[in-house]
Amino acid sequence: MASDVAALGAKAQQAATASGKREPALVRWMLIGTALLFLGLLLVVPLVAVFTQALDQGVKVYWEAIRDPETLHAIGMTLLTASLVVPLNTIFGLAVAWAVTRHQFPGKSALVTLIDLPFAVSPVIAGLIFVLTFGAHGLFGPWLAELGIKVIFGKPGIILATLFVTLPMVARNVIPVMQAQGREEEEAALLLGASGWQIFWRVTLPNVKWGLLYGVILTNARAMGEFGAVSVVSGHIRGLTNTLPLHVEILYNEYQFAASFAAASLLVLLALVTLVAQQLVDAGRQRQLAEGQRAPAEEGNG
Amino acid sequence: MSIDIHQVSKTFGSFTAVDRVSLRIPTGELVAFLGPSGSGKTTLLRMIAGLEEPDSGEIRFDGQPAKSPKDRRGAIGFVFQHYALFRHMSVFENVAFGLRVRPRRLRPSEAAIREKVMDLLKLVQLDWLADRYPAQLSGGQRQRVALARALATEPRYLLLDEPFGALDAKVRQELRQWLRRLHSELHITSLLVTHDQEEALEVADRVVVMNRGRIEQVGTPEEVYENPANPFVCSFLGRVNLFRGRTAAGYVRPHELEVHLTPEGDVSAPADVVRVNAAGPAVRLELRRADTGDVLEAEVTRERSLELGVKAGDRLFVTPRRLRVFESGPDLLAGTR
Repeated sequence: MASDVAALGAKAQQAATASGKREPALVRWMLIGTALLFLGLLLVVPLVAVFTQALDQGVKVYWEAIRDPETLHAIGMTLLTASLVVPLNTIFGLAVAWAVTRHQFPGKSALVTLIDLPFAVSPVIAGLIFVLTFGAHGLFGPWLAELGIKVIFGKPGIILATLFVTLPMVARNVIPVMQAQGREEEEAALLLGASGWQIFWRVTLPNVKWGLLYGVILTNARAMGEFGAVSVVSGHIRGLTNTLPLHVEILYNEYQFAASFAAASLLVLLALVTLVAQQLVDAGRQRQLAEGQRAPAEEGNG
Repeated sequence: MSIDIHQVSKTFGSFTAVDRVSLRIPTGELVAFLGPSGSGKTTLLRMIAGLEEPDSGEIRFDGQPAKSPKDRRGAIGFVFQHYALFRHMSVFENVAFGLRVRPRRLRPSEAAIREKVMDLLKLVQLDWLADRYPAQLSGGQRQRVALARALATEPRYLLLDEPFGALDAKVRQELRQWLRRLHSELHITSLLVTHDQEEALEVADRVVVMNRGRIEQVGTPEEVYENPANPFVCSFLGRVNLFRGRTAAGYVRPHELEVHLTPEGDVSAPADVVRVNAAGPAVRLELRRADTGDVLEAEVTRERSLELGVKAGDRLFVTPRRLRVFESGPDLLAGTR
């Protein structure tokens, strides 16, 4: 046993020196150095800059900037948007994934392609689509004006635009998982007497939970961070239709750097939380995948 | 608790999976649907379970037509080839599932569920694995859990779709005998789909041989093996030689082919030994007929083989002890007369 381990160790060392020999140390360090420099310049330095700028004039100013009513309203607007968009797109994503993976119907492949449309078009175009549809001079504009509903330059517009840009996220993450799971477990549940809802809650949902959670996290991150589409439809009315990303821009344009970076730091924090959550969910997903792939290798009864 | 299948058909696109099949399955029998892949046996089973709707025809349970899959819920226990266990539930919860999803007024108490599930797990000899998850079990154990789960709702019919197909030979053999014992204890009307003729002949009371969506023959294992209705059944149910004599041509199983050192009888034919395989209870001889060039397979006892002293290259004479001649099946006999 001990000699086996020793042999393995020697082998590993051999492998290490072999791969070391292939590229000279200089080349290795140059490659690693370039990668690190790139990462540092593009990711680490800006990240640190956000926080140093935010705290440039002390914690007090930072705190004041965040407590500013307009910032608080922007935070509220962002939270409201996310709290509506995430559940709606979760339901939509699950419904689409279920329809696509469990049923055959004409136009199925067209639907799958269409789901990706929001990823393909620029967010600005996404915003414009809604202005052209619901704006004062848009398709439903006069009709909406008659009813007194303000979609564009109002909260409904922001929510619609955010719904649009985050539409594919849940569906895209759930479809492959559902496809991989197949129908058999659901059929087994059906034959055991379970109703449609029971099958969904007890069999389908637990099986896709990691993919679903991943999609939800991405939807949430995008819903809170979306700028382009929301910028077009919001009208930037302070204290009314301003989300956090838009608020950051307004403050920045007004040379209120500390306040701007303070608001921005909140978004960066959100990004960090998202990354951690993503990692956790990914670990769970990998675990589930590994379990699923463990074929009936060892036999033997009793 | 009989099942009546009347003129049932099912097509998938342009492929006819099941073609006007009629069949009666009597109460308490264990019936095997046997056929090659694509013969429609699994589709037929899934239609009986209600997982597929027949395009035409009718399936009756105890004389009652079952229109929707709902009518059949819980009355049918189904065992899938790949187990289809709920992977996020423990073995215990898997077996308990069918009881837990019942409407509140029909649901047994927690204590009753516990007792029932543990009884079933004892029946399949897996009560010590109740807290494990499916991924932690071997294939044979998973399939026994699947069986316990299917039995939990006390179904009147047990449907098994290639249940041992994904297991290795030794486990398959054990589970087969175990299923046979279970059936003789419970006497539940059971349908077993398989492409393994040995499995069908060993386990079933009655074998339904299927091919291209149609039933070729129905009978006891002995009947279908000894008196196959046509060349397809004959060749599917075991190794068989096509033997061309001067006056007739027919099928003969390897163990029904006698070998001698000199010509015997009027249908004797000369043949050269190509290969001798002595592994197993009998000695298998691969022969090439000297007159027609046909390759034949004969099976003789070890004693007979020693008596003749056969080795590759020897000249022998073969005589079919029994020749099965079919009127239908010109496709296989074409050119012999």
